[in-house]
Amino acid sequence: MVGVAGIVALFVVRGISSTWGGLALPNEAQDFLTLSISVIIESLPFVILGIVLSIAVQVWVPDTLFVRLLPKNRVLRRVAISLLGVLLPVCECGNVPLARGLIVKGLTVAESMTFLLAAPIVNPITIITTAQAFGWTNGILIARVAGGFLIANLIGWLFSRHANQPGLLTPRFAAECALPPSHEHGETRWGQSVELFVHEAGTILPALFLGAVAAGLVQVVVPRQVLVTLGSNPLWSILAMMVLAFIISVCSNVDAFFILPFATTFLPGSIVSFLVFGPLIDIKMLALMRTTFRVRVLVQLTIVVALASALVGLVVNFVS
Amino acid sequence: MWGWWSTLSRDEKWAAFIRWRGLALAAVALVVTVWLGVTNQLILYIHPRYIVFTLIMAAVALALLVASFAARRTHSHAESPTRRQKAITVVGGILALAFAVAMIAVPPATLSSATAIQRDINSTTVGAGSQTVASASSKAGSAFAKFTVLDWSSLLRQTSAASFYQGKPADVTGFVTADSNDPANMFFVSRFVITCCAVDAQPVGVPVYLPDWEQKYAEDKWVRVEGGFTTDPSSKSSEQIALVPSKVSIVAKPHQPYLF
Repeated sequence: MVGVAGIVALFVVRGISSTWGGLALPNEAQDFLTLSISVIIESLPFVILGIVLSIAVQVWVPDTLFVRLLPKNRVLRRVAISLLGVLLPVCECGNVPLARGLIVKGLTVAESMTFLLAAPIVNPITIITTAQAFGWTNGILIARVAGGFLIANLIGWLFSRHANQPGLLTPRFAAECALPPSHEHGETRWGQSVELFVHEAGTILPALFLGAVAAGLVQVVVPRQVLVTLGSNPLWSILAMMVLAFIISVCSNVDAFFILPFATTFLPGSIVSFLVFGPLIDIKMLALMRTTFRVRVLVQLTIVVALASALVGLVVNFVS
Repeated sequence: MWGWWSTLSRDEKWAAFIRWRGLALAAVALVVTVWLGVTNQLILYIHPRYIVFTLIMAAVALALLVASFAARRTHSHAESPTRRQKAITVVGGILALAFAVAMIAVPPATLSSATAIQRDINSTTVGAGSQTVASASSKAGSAFAKFTVLDWSSLLRQTSAASFYQGKPADVTGFVTADSNDPANMFFVSRFVITCCAVDAQPVGVPVYLPDWEQKYAEDKWVRVEGGFTTDPSSKSSEQIALVPSKVSIVAKPHQPYLF
C-alpha cells in the first residue's frame, strides 16, 4: 500500500515539477543531468530484460538443464558458453544479472565471465547493427566478432586457472551462491520470481545510477577535441578510442552507429578497438560488475581486456 | 510506524535499507521513464526506435515492482558487512538517491550549446549521406527550404565552391552556438544528431555571419534563419562558406529538438 502510494506520489511530483520554470541550471549542470539520465533510460530496458532472463534461468529452467547440455571438455564448454549470446541477445548491462544467474545455476565463475564478455559482441543484434554500420569495409565486422570471441575465451581460460573460484566474487554474492540448490523459501515460483526481481534490481540499479553519474560527469569535463586530434596515429588513435569507449558507456547493440561518424578521422584498427573494448569494459560496466566481482578481479580483467583489445586494433591497422 | 522500526535488529535494519534503496531507485527510474513516455518526451533522451521497447520493459518492471510490495518478505542471506563496506554503501546510496531526486525534480531538457562546443560542431561526418552535391544540384529552388541543418552541414563539408550555393536559399531552425574563432560576428544554427541516445549526440551546425548577433540572440535561443550562402566574410573564422541572413526570428524549441 505504502509502495503504491509512493509510486503515485512520484508521478504527481514529476508532473508538477516539470512546470517549474524557475529552476534554470547552468548549461554544464543541465547537460550533465541530461547525459546521465540518458545513460539510465537507455540502459534500463536492457537491464530489465537481463533480470527477467536471469529470473527465467534461475526459477523456471530445470536446475540441471544448462549443465547437462554443455560439453564436458572445459575448453569446448567455454566456447559453447561464449556462443550463448546468440540465444540470449541482451547487451552488456543486461548480461550482468544474467551472468549472476548462471553462476547461481552452477556454472563456474570463469565460465560465467566468458559468457559475460562474449555475449555482448557475439550476438545477433550487435552483429546486425555492426554490419549495417560498416558492412565488410576494412574487416571491422569480422575483427570485432572474432576479437570479442577470442578475448572472452582468453579471460575464461585465465580465470579458470584460479584455484578458488568463489574467491573471485564479492563475499556477499559468494555467500548467496554457496546456498544449497534445494534451498527454497517455500514459495511459489511466481513469489520467487518477484523476490528475485527485487533482489537483482536492488543490486544492479544503485550501480547503474552511480555508473551513469560518473559517465555523465566525465563527458561534460573531458573535451572531445582532445581525443579526435589523436585520430590518425596508429597507436594513439587506438588508445584514444578505447578511452572514448570507456567514457561513453553506450550499449553494444548501438555503439556501431555511434562510432560510424568517426570512421573517417580514425584508423580502422582504432574503430575495432572501440567496438571490442567498449562492450566489455566501461565506466557503467565496471560499476555493474562490482556488484559481483572483487575489485582485484576487475583490475586484472580491465588490464587484460585493454591489452588484448589494443592488440586486435593494432593487427587490423597493420593488415588493412 | 517508527515503533515497528525500533523493534528490528541492526542486521534487519540494514537489510531493510538495502531493500528500500533498490526499490526507491527502481521506482524513480520507472516513473520517470513512463512519465516521459506518456508526455512524449522520451525523445529528449533516446532515439524514437527504442521508445516502444523501453516502455514495454518499463511496464513489465512496474508490474513486478508493484507485485513485490504485496509479496511476503524473505530473510536475507547476506553476510553482515563490515563497517567500512557499510560506509561505502551508505555514501553510494545517498549519491544515487540524490541523483534520483534530481531526476524527479528537474524539468527535462535538451543538451545545450555547452555540449555542442565541448563536442566540436561538425567535427564528425555524421549524416554524411543526408544530402550529396549531386542530389542537391538537381533539385528545384523550392526544395531547399526543407533542408535541415544536417543537410546543409553535410553539403558544406562536401564543397566550399560558392557557385554551388548560388540560387539555393536556406531556411533552417536550430539553437545558437557561438563560433569559437570569431564569436563577435559568427554563430552556428546548431542541432544535435542522435543515433541511439543523448549520450551519443553529435552537434552539427550551419555557420551564420551576422555582426553583433549576441545583442539580439542569446546563446541557446532557438532561431529560424533565412538567407543565402556566400564566401565567408569573416576574416577570423575558419569557415569558408557562411549563411548571410535576410531574416532571423526567435522561435519556440521544436517538439523534436534532435535530428536523426
